Amino acid sequence: MATIKQTQTFIIRTLIIVDLFVIAASFFLFKDPQAFILGLIFGSAISVLNFIELANTLNRAVHMPPEKAQSFTVIKYFIRYIVTAVVLFVSIVAPYINVLGTILGLVIIKIIILISNLMGDKNYFRNIFRRKEDESSGH
Amino acid sequence: METLITGKALILACSAIGAGLAMIAGIGPGIGQGYAAGKGAEAVGRQPESQGDIVRTMLLGAAVAETTGIYGLVIALILLFANPLVRML
Repeated sequence: MATIKQTQTFIIRTLIIVDLFVIAASFFLFKDPQAFILGLIFGSAISVLNFIELANTLNRAVHMPPEKAQSFTVIKYFIRYIVTAVVLFVSIVAPYINVLGTILGLVIIKIIILISNLMGDKNYFRNIFRRKEDESSGH
Repeated sequence: METLITGKALILACSAIGAGLAMIAGIGPGIGQGYAAGKGAEAVGRQPESQGDIVRTMLLGAAVAETTGIYGLVIALILLFANPLVRML
């Protein structure tokens, strides 16, 4: 199984590649793609920072007592949530940043995680259609 | 004295209520992440050698769980600062 650092590097590298594809596609979709590209880079940068901060938070939380880990993680989550809110607010108010680009930038990293880790596993699709009663283990 | 409520005022008031309701979506991931982190801490306490696997799985799960909170935030901020319904009047 890959380490946390390897997983982070893989996801961030994939995000950069997907971003480049979306930037290339935006030249065909928009007449003036500058605002969209700026929003995409803005959103992607913040989502990467949030992802790294989440990893640091969880690495620290697992060494704490469970109750303290719970409150620590919730506080850190709301700090990240406020950062995301400020980013979205700025992209809505500023005319030179497209809000759709920012939203896409914030969400792309989640789509990459879902596709690479959940849907990349063949057993995920098999388990959807497999009935519990058919299992031979008798559980 | 009769007070008239204009269509725009009604839409703005309803949008403010809607934005408040949409922000409730932000609480769920916080509670969920906290619960997962608590259980993760318990698991690492029981099996310290598998800390890497536990944190990795928790990291991926927590990152995806945050998405719904962001959706709620987007809806709330758009209703407050870039309301598309007012333009329909």
